[in-house]
Amino acid sequence: MRRRSYWIVLLLAIATPLAAATPNCWVMRRHGQENESRVCFEQLTRNTDAGMRAEGFWGLEEWDSANEQFRIATRSPNGGAETKARWGMLLHERFNDKDASDLFREALAQDSTNVDAYLGLAIVSADNFNGKAMLYVNKALALAPNRAEVHELAARFALENDDRDLAATEADRALALESDALDAISVRAAIELISERQPDTWLTRLQSVNPHYGSGYAQIAHHLELHYRHDDAVAYYRKAIAAEPRLWSAHSDLGIGLMRLGQQEEAQKELELCYSNGYRDAATVNSLRLLDSYKNYVTIRDATTVLKLKKTESDLLHPYLQDELHRIIAAYNKKYAMRISGPVQVEVYPDHEDFAVRTMGMPGLGALGVTFGKVIAMDSPSARKPGDFNWGATLWHEMSHVYVLTATKNHVPRWFTEGLAVHEEGERSAEWSNRATPDVLIAIREKKLLPILKLDRGFVYPQYPSQVVVSYFQAGSICDFIKANWGEPKLLEMVHSYADLKTTQEAIKQNLGLTPEQFDEQYLDWIDKRYSPQASHFDEWREKLKLIAAAAQSQQWDIIINAGPAAIALYPEYISEGNVYGFLAECYREKNDVAAEIRTLAAYEHAGGQDPAMLKRLATLEEQSGSKSAAAETLTRVLYIYPVNDADLHRQLGDLLYEQKSYDKAVLEFGSAIASHPVDRAGTELRLAQAYLAGGHKDQAEESVLAALEIAPNYAPAQKLLLELHQSPNK
Amino acid sequence: MTRVRRSKRWRLLHRVCAILCLSAIQSRAATYYVIVAGLGGEADYEQRFTAAAKDLDKIFRTSEPTGQIYTLVQQQATSSRLKNTLSTIARSARPQDAFVLVLIGHGSFDGSVYKFNLLGPDVDAEEIAEMCNRIASQRQLIVDTSSASGGAIPALRYPGRAIVTATKSGTEKNATVFARYWVEALQDPSADTDKSDSISALEAFTYATKKTATFYESQKRLATEHAVFTDVIGGDPVREAGTGQGYLMSSFTLVRFGDLQQIANNPAKRELLQKKEDLEQKIDTLKYQKAAMDPADYKRQLTAMLLDLAQVQQELDK
Repeated sequence: MRRRSYWIVLLLAIATPLAAATPNCWVMRRHGQENESRVCFEQLTRNTDAGMRAEGFWGLEEWDSANEQFRIATRSPNGGAETKARWGMLLHERFNDKDASDLFREALAQDSTNVDAYLGLAIVSADNFNGKAMLYVNKALALAPNRAEVHELAARFALENDDRDLAATEADRALALESDALDAISVRAAIELISERQPDTWLTRLQSVNPHYGSGYAQIAHHLELHYRHDDAVAYYRKAIAAEPRLWSAHSDLGIGLMRLGQQEEAQKELELCYSNGYRDAATVNSLRLLDSYKNYVTIRDATTVLKLKKTESDLLHPYLQDELHRIIAAYNKKYAMRISGPVQVEVYPDHEDFAVRTMGMPGLGALGVTFGKVIAMDSPSARKPGDFNWGATLWHEMSHVYVLTATKNHVPRWFTEGLAVHEEGERSAEWSNRATPDVLIAIREKKLLPILKLDRGFVYPQYPSQVVVSYFQAGSICDFIKANWGEPKLLEMVHSYADLKTTQEAIKQNLGLTPEQFDEQYLDWIDKRYSPQASHFDEWREKLKLIAAAAQSQQWDIIINAGPAAIALYPEYISEGNVYGFLAECYREKNDVAAEIRTLAAYEHAGGQDPAMLKRLATLEEQSGSKSAAAETLTRVLYIYPVNDADLHRQLGDLLYEQKSYDKAVLEFGSAIASHPVDRAGTELRLAQAYLAGGHKDQAEESVLAALEIAPNYAPAQKLLLELHQSPNK
Repeated sequence: MTRVRRSKRWRLLHRVCAILCLSAIQSRAATYYVIVAGLGGEADYEQRFTAAAKDLDKIFRTSEPTGQIYTLVQQQATSSRLKNTLSTIARSARPQDAFVLVLIGHGSFDGSVYKFNLLGPDVDAEEIAEMCNRIASQRQLIVDTSSASGGAIPALRYPGRAIVTATKSGTEKNATVFARYWVEALQDPSADTDKSDSISALEAFTYATKKTATFYESQKRLATEHAVFTDVIGGDPVREAGTGQGYLMSSFTLVRFGDLQQIANNPAKRELLQKKEDLEQKIDTLKYQKAAMDPADYKRQLTAMLLDLAQVQQELDK
């Protein structure tokens, strides 16, 4: 969050009217004249004006005194909008964005033309990727087109949106106004690096203005991070620290960057250094807490994977995760015709807040998983409400990033790697495929999908609340569209184009023979054909759903039976909370119509429904009606959704697999049931023993039957099995 | 003393209690059950409480055909009806008989007084205690599954009485789900964790608390109930057996589905039964020593004893 803001504080300090009265101090600092600037700031602390004193204390990093002086200043007759805007920037720098935003708003309430307040709001919004940053910058640009720092900020946001041309233009405008605009120079250097060109000219210029301007390198590192260049970002954070050893924000960013690369020891040192020097923002403190909590994790390695799991759930989860990773690696090695050098590390967090620490300062949903090079961090299924999360789909998604980022050496636009990852989920299972949520249908109906060349902006600075979700859908459906029209190999060819540093425009031309405009036209036509019936009937569907929900509440089952199938036909992809499948199934259950209930629940399952309770109900009905293999398949789906806190699920599936003579799989399930701490531990150990024995593993069978009898020495079936084992010829 | 050691010692005492329990069976003691479904307030709760009470009624009648079972639901669930029922039992129950009271519903606690909500006037913990204290049964179990039920514990404590409450204190005031899992425990053979063909109060408690915890975890809701029990006069209520708690609970059989009694009454098998009990005690002793033993030696000895026990059981089953 705060990582990108330190330089902005300096930058704004020089230009604001308040600071204009104290220009020398901040300018000196900006030009690397540290000793002179300190003397200047010390003098300011003795000024008769509280606002000036606040600037002095701020420059000396005496934060509490600066804060106090600003408080006094805002009470004085001179303490207008300008003072509040400066105070807001101080608070932002000291990690208090909420109060900072309030002060910026108060400043604007007093003076609606206060440029610094707009810039302050832009900075806070950008740090939170909330989509309003560009709006505020544009207001500032309109009010002060001749202030270099406004163009510098516009350049930064443009590059974060991967609009390199606009970023270069804005940086050049800033440099035309002030030839030593350091942040514009940094943006220019970052553009060169992201485009795989030499940044030397710009770096030399940066050094000539101020050789100790670490923030310039930190900005470059930040832009590299946003373009998936995590290794390079770490290198530039190191340069930032070398230039300015006391730049604690860069130490913190370096620590977090190292954590992302799995280099914990050095990360811990850097973060502790920040902490002990008073730099204790949320990212630093939470990252340190997370590092401390790693003592409660275990690491499980094999040739191609490293799993980092909380001790309390590693026994349960590691067999599933490891098996799935091996499956994914085999599939992607073949599909992408490449191999990842070295193992892929997957970290699984049962506490969502721990996972959130790993995604801080990253754009996009960041809600389920995140990939940094060959390190994947993701939520554990136990971190989420049952049905909210499919860890299998998340793993296929994130692993796709690992391959695409490796294949392109990180030179890939966000929309393409996210789109391909979403597409891969659907390739793994039709039930995990890209689904049009109500937000997506509304976006389609209201023609809000973005042109392909601007799609990245929907991820970084969304213009409406659901735009990130819509952008994921659009990116995924573009890859589906390419596969449908040109075939799956074209997607791999697109990967190769990006690896050759082609732009999206070039990649489309080269592989699909279309201009971006032609592509957009054909894609929108395709999506329209697929979704216009659902989009155009969306309101009708919603009315029917309301009717059905009300009928369910008053148990008017006939209304549901009449209206339900038609509602599903209008929008079969709707499987989230309050879906029609659920109401209809409940209705058939009440009416004891087992066949219809199975039919409804199976339709829900195939539409991608993920409510474990509904799927387990289906499995039970399937089992009772004799479709035991269908029941086993249904429960296997639940394993990908919520395999935790449910010993009964594993035991039931184990029983089904045992009956089908899938003894190894049954062993896995009974083992999982034990790892889930079942109430009936002895009974579960016995089942495990029986599965081992049936699979020909007598020694393990004896271990398990002894475990059962140790708990319950008089457990008759276990006694019988023990006697059998000891009477058998091999004993 | 380590936690493991306490646990092992408890198992030894548990064995002694089990033998005492067998004696109680032989004396043909009766068990009196009173099940009350309190005022629901809303149709949903009303239905849920009544269904749970009726399920328990059915479970106890099936498990113990000679049991004296009184179930008060809906209009019958009044303070006066409850008092009459308990007075009736107080007139007939003998010291060797067991007594079980299960309260299902809402409770309240004002900081000093716990009340169980009934149709008409509520009944407070002191009144419940006073009525139960008049019952001569020396083995009593009160299961209060209501909200705020932890607030009733101080008043309900009495020698020979185990108390189970759905909440750890009177301040846990949200409606509870514990009753649902308590009833489920008595129907689910997997609650019989020691495979003794019976479900004790302790096994039912363990099952219900685990299932309750899983319910809250899977709903991603903060748990608003933490069931506890106590079966001694002093000491805080606990969530698991140990530190002197749990002897009465583990020997208080609620549901039986085996033929223990028939075997105990067969003189021809008494020698085998004695051998079985000896082996069981040896196994318990060995388990008590496990932490200090070489794992291979422990396994060898345990296997030998378990094999002997299995063979004895095979003889008994003939």
